[in-house]
Amino acid sequence: MASIATGADLGVATRSRKRRLIERNSLPALLLFLPPALILFTLFVVLPMVDAATFSFFDWNGYGPITDFVGFENYADVLTHRNFGTAVRNSLIVVAVSLVVQLPLAMWCAIALSERGVHINVLRTLFFLPFMLAEVAAGLIWNFVYDGNYGLLPAIGDAIGVDMPFVLGDKFWVIPAIMLVITWKYFGFHMMIFIAGLQSIPSEVIEAARLDGVKRWQIVRHIKIPMIRSAIVISVFFAITGALQLFDLIIPLSNGGPSHSSHTIVTFLYQFGILRMKLGFGGAISVILFIACVIVALAYRRILFKVEQN
Amino acid sequence: MKRFALAAMLGLAAILPAQAQTVVKHLHITSIPAEVELMNSIAADFMAANPDIKVELPFLENEAFKAKLTTLLQSADAPDVFHSWGGGVFYEQAAAGVLRPIEDVLSDEAKANVGTAGVSAFTAPDGHMYGVARDVSEVVLWYNKTLFEQAGVDPASMATWDGFLAGVQKFKDAGITPIAIGAKDKWPAHFWWSKLVVRLAGKDGFEAAARGEGDGFAGEDFVKAGEYFLQLSELEPWQEGFLAASYGDASGLFGDGKAAMHLMGDWDYGAMKDNSADKDGIPDDELGILPFPTIEGGKGDPTDTLGGLGGVLFSKNASDAAVKWIEFFNSTENQAKYAKDAYYIPIAKGAADVMTNPFKVQIGQNISGAHWHALFFDQALGPNVGGVVNDVSAELAGNSISAEEAAEMIKEAVDDSL
Repeated sequence: MASIATGADLGVATRSRKRRLIERNSLPALLLFLPPALILFTLFVVLPMVDAATFSFFDWNGYGPITDFVGFENYADVLTHRNFGTAVRNSLIVVAVSLVVQLPLAMWCAIALSERGVHINVLRTLFFLPFMLAEVAAGLIWNFVYDGNYGLLPAIGDAIGVDMPFVLGDKFWVIPAIMLVITWKYFGFHMMIFIAGLQSIPSEVIEAARLDGVKRWQIVRHIKIPMIRSAIVISVFFAITGALQLFDLIIPLSNGGPSHSSHTIVTFLYQFGILRMKLGFGGAISVILFIACVIVALAYRRILFKVEQN
Repeated sequence: MKRFALAAMLGLAAILPAQAQTVVKHLHITSIPAEVELMNSIAADFMAANPDIKVELPFLENEAFKAKLTTLLQSADAPDVFHSWGGGVFYEQAAAGVLRPIEDVLSDEAKANVGTAGVSAFTAPDGHMYGVARDVSEVVLWYNKTLFEQAGVDPASMATWDGFLAGVQKFKDAGITPIAIGAKDKWPAHFWWSKLVVRLAGKDGFEAAARGEGDGFAGEDFVKAGEYFLQLSELEPWQEGFLAASYGDASGLFGDGKAAMHLMGDWDYGAMKDNSADKDGIPDDELGILPFPTIEGGKGDPTDTLGGLGGVLFSKNASDAAVKWIEFFNSTENQAKYAKDAYYIPIAKGAADVMTNPFKVQIGQNISGAHWHALFFDQALGPNVGGVVNDVSAELAGNSISAEEAAEMIKEAVDDSL
C-alpha cells in the first residue's frame, strides 16, 4: 500500500512539475533565449579552450598546420622554466593583497559612505573613477607617476628630501608599486558592491540595535557584515579570479620587467608563448592556469557550502 | 525629381571608380611625423598616376607590430605589404606559406636596383624571393662632443676596449652619465652583446654557433663577450633607472645631452631629435660617431658592421598592384627623397648619392666597405633565440647574471629550436 502511494505521489509530482513548466511557459523561453548564449559561449569560450588544450601537446610557432606532436614536453618546459615560479609567486601575491588589503579597504570605505548625502556621492564617484578608467590608460598614468626622472613620485621625494628609487626598474620595488596601482584601481569596484549590499539592509534593524544601545562597531561587526554576506562572497570570488587573470595593467607599467621579475601568469604566457612564437608552450600555460582557476572555483564553493551548513 | 536623378548619377559616379579600385594595404612602422608625410606624398603621386589602385598606409608601433604580426598575417585583415627586418623571422613566415613569391612579378629593373645583397636578403631558403629590400642600417656608437670635452675624454683614446673602459670611468668621475640605454625594451641592450660578439667571434664563429656546432653559443668567445659586457656593467655606466627606460626614453636622454654615448642604429639621428625635450636634439657639430672599440685577439674583422637590411614582404594574398606600388615606392627617385632628409640609407642604386648628412654618408661607406654586415641578432636568430639573446643582454647590463650562465641560456635556446 505504501509503495503504491509513493508511486502515485511520484506520478503526481512529475505531472505537476511538467504542468508547472508549461504553465510558466519556460520551455519556449528556454528555446528562445538559451541558444544565443550557448552559441556565443561555445564559440568564444569552449572552442578556444579546446584549441589551446590541443596545441599544448604540439610544437607550433603559430604559422601553418599543427603537426609536430611532443606529448607533455610543453608542460614539462613550463614547470621547469626559470621564470614560471616568479610568475606564479607574483600572481599569488596579487591574490593575497586583493584579499588582505583591497577588500578590507573597500569595506571600510563602503561603511563610511553608505549613507546618503551630496559630499558622500562626490567621494563615492571619486573612489569609483579609477575602476572606470581603461586598464592601459591607468597603467600609463602610473608609469608617468613612477618615472624616475620626470614623475610625481621623485618630485614628492625631492620635496621631503628622500631619494626615491626608479621603482619600475627595481626588482624589489616593482611589485609593491604594481600592488598599489591594483588596489587603487579595483577597490572602488568592491566598495560599490558592498554599498549596494549595505543599502539593502532595512534601516529598522539598525535603528532597533541603536535603541538597544549597541555600539557603532558592534553594529558593523554583528549586523552589517553578516547581512551583506552574499555581497562579500561575490567580491572575494571576483578578487581571486581577477587577480589570477591580471594582465593589462602590468604590460604598460613594467612589461613584466625588470629581468622578468614582475610577470603574472598571464603576462608570462604572453611574453614566452605569444611574443616568442611558441604557441604550444603558451597553450600549456593556459591549460595550467585554467585548471588552477577551476580548482579555486570548486574549492571556494565547497568552503562556502560548509560555512553555510555551520 | 530631376534633382534626385542628378544626385543619384553623381552618387553613382562617385561609387563606380571606387569599386574598380584595387586596395593595397602597406603596413609600416614609421613614427616620425615628417617621414610619414613623405610616405603619404609618395603614395599620393602613385595614386594620381594609377587611379585604379588605392594605397593605404596603416601604422603599428614597433613593439606592437612584432607582437601582432603573426596573428595578423593569418587573418582576413592581413596587409598586402609589410615591414620586415629579414632574417629568422622572415624564414619562418616563408616556411609557413603566409608570403607570396614575387620573383616572377617584380621587374628586372627593381631587382637590379636593390643589388645582389638586397635580393639575397629577401630570398628564403626555399629559393623564392618574397620581398624587396629598402634600406641598410648600422648600429654605431653615437657620442656627444660637448660632454667629452667637459669630462676631458679624448675620443681617440676610446678605440680599444681598455681605453673605452677608462674613458667611461672618467665620465663617472666627472659626474656625467657615460651611456644611455633603453634596457626595458631589451633589444637596445642586445646591441652591446652583439657588437662584442662581432668583435670576438666574427662571422664564422657566429654562424657556426647559430647552427649549433661545437659548444655553440656556450663557446669560449661568447662567454668572453659576456665577461667584457660585465666589465662595462660593473662600472655602472648607464643612466639611473635604465632597467625601466624604453628605447625612446634613452634616445631622448641622449638627445637632451644628458648622456655622453648611445649605442644605437643610424635611425637614432632623427629619433634622438624627435625624442628630445626641445625636438632639436644635439646639433650636428656636437654629434659624433665612435668606432666600436677593438678587442685584442678578437676573431672579427675590424671592418665588420652590425645592423639591418630592412625591406618589405608581400603577404600571401598580395595583388600585382602591391608589387607595382613597391616598385614605385622603392624607385631611385623616391628613395632619394628619404636619403635627402636622412631618414634612412636607401639600398636603391644611386639613391644614397644625394645624401648630404655626413653621419649617414659615413655609415653608408662603413656598410659598403664591411667584410661582414651582421644582421641584428634578435632578428637573424628568430623570435625565440632572439628573445633569449635580448633577455640575457638586459641581465648583463644589469649585472645580474654570470657570463657563463648567459652563454648557456642562449645555447639552450638554440638547441631547443634546432
